[in-house]
Amino acid sequence: MTKKNVLGRKGVRPIRRAVQIAFFVLVAVGTTISVLKEKGIDIPFPGEASLHAICPFGGVVSFWQLISAGTLVKKVHESSVVLAGLGVLLAILFGPVICGWVCPFGSFQEWLAGIGRKIFGKRYNNFVPRRVDRVLRYLRYLVLIWVSYMTVMTGKLIFQDYDPYFTLFNFWTGEVAVTGFIALGLVVVLSLFVERPFCKYACPYGAFQGIFNLFRIFGIKRNAATCISCKKCAKACPMNIEVDSAKVVRDHQCISCLECTSEAACPVPATVDLVAVYGRSHDGQAPAGSESGKGA
Amino acid sequence: MRIGHKPLAIVVIAIFTAGIGGAYLLGYWNTTSTKVPVTIKSGEFAGMPSPSDIRGSYTWNDVAKAFSLDVNVLLEAFGATDPSVKVNTLETIYGEAKLPEGVEIGTDSVRLFVALYAGLPHAPEESTVLPVAAISVLRREGKGDSGLIDEAAARAFPQISKTGSAVTAPQPTSTTVPQSVAPVEGASTGTGISAGAGLPVGTPTEEHVQTEGTITGKTTFKDLKAWGMSEEQIKSATGGKIGPDIAVIRDWTQANGLTFSEIKTALQELLAER
Repeated sequence: MTKKNVLGRKGVRPIRRAVQIAFFVLVAVGTTISVLKEKGIDIPFPGEASLHAICPFGGVVSFWQLISAGTLVKKVHESSVVLAGLGVLLAILFGPVICGWVCPFGSFQEWLAGIGRKIFGKRYNNFVPRRVDRVLRYLRYLVLIWVSYMTVMTGKLIFQDYDPYFTLFNFWTGEVAVTGFIALGLVVVLSLFVERPFCKYACPYGAFQGIFNLFRIFGIKRNAATCISCKKCAKACPMNIEVDSAKVVRDHQCISCLECTSEAACPVPATVDLVAVYGRSHDGQAPAGSESGKGA
Repeated sequence: MRIGHKPLAIVVIAIFTAGIGGAYLLGYWNTTSTKVPVTIKSGEFAGMPSPSDIRGSYTWNDVAKAFSLDVNVLLEAFGATDPSVKVNTLETIYGEAKLPEGVEIGTDSVRLFVALYAGLPHAPEESTVLPVAAISVLRREGKGDSGLIDEAAARAFPQISKTGSAVTAPQPTSTTVPQSVAPVEGASTGTGISAGAGLPVGTPTEEHVQTEGTITGKTTFKDLKAWGMSEEQIKSATGGKIGPDIAVIRDWTQANGLTFSEIKTALQELLAER
């Protein structure tokens, strides 16, 4: 049984990796060609768009201006609103699946985590004391509130100057503020110690998406009856969620990466899975939406 | 219903593809600005395009089309040659031309020029200046108030070195337009703009300093309160809304679909009544 699952892990992890690489390349190529076009070098490419045009967070922070004045925040385009809508739809269904599968900056941090793991082994991603970490995780909501408030009040993309994601794809364009470089440098260094530090502590869009973990339709569910308490699910979680002690993961930090599931880390089949947690679940249990998980 | 990696990957990609494809078919998938400025919501100019909404990503052609101008007028005013170049290239061009500290020729200069040319309202940044060539065009063809054109022209640098740098302190109260000024050197661009179009006409400011009782493009709500205005008074001018203390009134009005020039006039009147 275990061997089968180990083979299964090898089979499923590359699927997420492939999706992450595909979106990373699409965003990198599309935004690069967009900047080159602005500089007078026109390379035909169907997906060409500025990073602002394909960032769903632009649609989120533009929402108030869109409904109150019928306009978008400067540099944000209709495509951002479309992507924000798709992000909400996906989040209602699966939680922050965009963070775990699509976001190029999340992928970038995960790849850096590979280096950190090689350096620190099992100590990697366990440096921050849990009590401190638990409080710091709410910092991103302060960032979300600050960014939303300032954007509504000024009509400008206030976060651009501090956004390491924008810096990563635009560092060569001359549009990046010094603060952006500092933010990116910090994330790179911290990623060698902590997995996805920006997602955990500072990403305003991750904070917004994280709210949907509280009422998503499909959630990570642990079957306590078959669980052998090996804690492999918790160890596999890049966001340090204690999956092993939750019935249904409702932690606001879950990114729906499925690393904890029986398809990947969990050695027992049908024990940790992404299932419908509203309505009847796959094992015939009662609706699990009311079950309390860890976290928020 | 259990969902594994493969089905989740398929669903995510399918939702993105269907969502983007659907938006594309409905004409809502726009990854670039529509190049149509918002219209002025109320007052004498209601329904007219707002110069304040001209974006740096507009080309000269876009600006001309949006305001029904002859593109050659814009090109002449800013020394540009290629109408397909974005107006935000001005910032690079004149940035390289070593303008004095606190002075800028950029997108806001285009907004100011269009406003003065077409007779529409716009409150420029304090650092915004126009090239001399633009003043010439405005004097020849501008439909805006001649007093405002004079005001823009009057804020000139009396002496300019051959490198284009101001060598004496500015005299904002001067009412004369310099008759001859040296061209900006080292500003050849390769982007369809010649910086030789003229030197800046405007007020240089080393740093932003608020003059009490005078509302500018950088005045904040905090400034208004410091000048003695109550929240109620401010709300009476803004239609019942008020921004946070740190908000720049100009940015706040734009973000809330209001016309800064109208709000500014109303606030200025209230300040005068104090």
